[in-house]
Amino acid sequence: MTVNEHVTVFAGLPVVEFGADVPVPPDPGAVAWRLSAEYDTTPDEFSALVGEFLAAVDPGAVTALIVGQWGQAYETPAPVELLADLAPSLTGLTALFLGEMTFEECEISWIRQGDVTPLLDAYPRLEVLRVRGSEGLLLEPVRHTALRELAFESGGLPGAVARAVGECDLPALEHLELWLGTPDYGGDTVVEDLAPILSGTRLPALRELGLRDAQIADEVAAALAEAPVVARLDTLDLSLGALSDAGAAALLDGQPLTHLRRLDLHHHYVGTELAERFARELNGVTIDLSERCEATDFGGRYVAVAE
Amino acid sequence: MTRTPAREAAVHPSRVPRLVVVGNPENRRVELFRAAARDWPAPVEVLPWRALAAGAVTLPAGALVRVDSPGEDAEVDRLLRGAEAPAEHGEIVGLAAWYDGFGAALLRLGDAVRDAGATLLNDPYEILVMFDKRACHARLGRAGVPVPPALLPAPRDYGELRELMGAAGWHRVFVKPAHGSSASGILALRAAAGRVLATTSVERASDGRLFNSLRVRAVRDEREIAAIVDRLAPDGLHVERWFPKAGLAGRVIDLRVLVVAGTVTHVVVRASRTPLTNLHLGNVRGDLAALRAVMGAEAYAQALATCVRAADGFPNSLHAGVDLMVGTGWRRHAVAEVNAFGDLLPGLLDERGRDSYAAELAAVRDGWPARRPAAAAERAEPAERSARVERVA
Repeated sequence: MTVNEHVTVFAGLPVVEFGADVPVPPDPGAVAWRLSAEYDTTPDEFSALVGEFLAAVDPGAVTALIVGQWGQAYETPAPVELLADLAPSLTGLTALFLGEMTFEECEISWIRQGDVTPLLDAYPRLEVLRVRGSEGLLLEPVRHTALRELAFESGGLPGAVARAVGECDLPALEHLELWLGTPDYGGDTVVEDLAPILSGTRLPALRELGLRDAQIADEVAAALAEAPVVARLDTLDLSLGALSDAGAAALLDGQPLTHLRRLDLHHHYVGTELAERFARELNGVTIDLSERCEATDFGGRYVAVAE
Repeated sequence: MTRTPAREAAVHPSRVPRLVVVGNPENRRVELFRAAARDWPAPVEVLPWRALAAGAVTLPAGALVRVDSPGEDAEVDRLLRGAEAPAEHGEIVGLAAWYDGFGAALLRLGDAVRDAGATLLNDPYEILVMFDKRACHARLGRAGVPVPPALLPAPRDYGELRELMGAAGWHRVFVKPAHGSSASGILALRAAAGRVLATTSVERASDGRLFNSLRVRAVRDEREIAAIVDRLAPDGLHVERWFPKAGLAGRVIDLRVLVVAGTVTHVVVRASRTPLTNLHLGNVRGDLAALRAVMGAEAYAQALATCVRAADGFPNSLHAGVDLMVGTGWRRHAVAEVNAFGDLLPGLLDERGRDSYAAELAAVRDGWPARRPAAAAERAEPAERSARVERVA
């Protein structure tokens, strides 16, 4: 699988792509604005597009912003500074998606990010931050009291980012989603890097935890089987990964999961026997075990999104 | 309602010309066309490509002549390439020689058409332009049809390809054999920050020969990519900047738009999980109604108008299959290819319940080519024609 299409809803709002000929709705805060350069534009032209956008709408009314192609995203890091500098104008911004590109524009593992910490510093009222791509991605541990949803989508999440997330103080965070990916694309996160998250100490509000697209899904599952944070969750998401019978058995034999509302395991390598055990033993939990994959003859298992 | 030629034919059968299909007799293209032409009030004959590829041919007097694909026949391919031995199944070999032989055969057909006072439903010169991606791209560009920019002059090997990409500041391109058809020999190439990645259906054998595969694969080994490009380049390359295509229902899409006698008759959404959308590569037909809803009526109408303009560049061809890419934001679009034999769309019916071949035959009954739009008929390009004659002679 690759990322093949754009999101049409973000932060609960319908997405509207900004363009010179696009009518501005009466309430510019009722939609999620997508700002994306055309494929052949330069980063300078992207900042011009941002300028046009700010002139066309009331910047203070904008609540949700999606940044798509900023121009040559495979060699130019995401425009974090540009966006951080807009904070005095975008006073109502609560949701930001950085790097919302399909593989036709730039494969997820080719998207060049940078240090995204300045965004959290500049927007203390930000509630949703979603970042796609992990090339060059950095995060410094921060305290942020408004953030409800944080997601890093990648084909390989650097362990340093996973550790930084664990060191952040995010008292309002309800939804955390890390796409761990594979070592082939910079995903050197190991289970130990997730320990602070799994303890849940700094994430008192967490309800939904996604450790997705993980080559190390079995190890993650084994850790989750006894992780304190799980008791607080209503959604556990291990989808898109390489989960096999080993990880599935660990989950089934570990701490109770019957309190969950939803367990998402889609795209997995779990055999039918254990899949049936989930259905039997987690009666009342909505379980997604779709997209069962077959390991290769040599036992190879793959995550859904890598390159 | 005026009387249709078919009605007249019932009264004056001698007025209805015979239909001759230049094709491979066993091919389903010919079968499907014959099925659509079963009510044609005069005989429908097949002129095998093997005969035309081998030498001079004759046609029935006054016939209407449809040219269809010479593809999927190893012996025809061998004859057109002027090679001693047939290519192995799927082998990509001798594309330039094939093009020269194809051109010579079409000129022979033109001679036979003149001798017989016959009428062609597809113009040989226009077919040849459509089978030269560089000439086709240039013609579309001159006509103001949106096309992705191309690397000019075309690179002669992988090293030059990378140099030209660097000079142009392009990191993502489609590398196409100038004379390939469908996805044969195409690489979707990205190169940036010391990494390269090609998506292609080309397989390279240990002896260096290239083969078409039905499996699309990712190639990350630059030596492998270079070896493929270097093998293809001597027969001519056409390199375009990658135009990012829109996605729908989890797949990347483009449109095959069949234009018959200046009117869009059939549209297929081709939906893929890779950058290559050709349907034989395990891709599927997408949901046109959903696409129209997402795209909006105006953008969709503009896209189809572009396809008609692209087909207008080939006024002496009854039909043209235009591959139209819609940009990721659904607003821009660009033409990827114009296919001379792009009307194989089995089972796809237009609003009037006709398949592609029936729609073409209806246009002929309605008087094409004599009554083709005047504007289109004027668009003769004598200079280009004579140049083409020199090229193929």
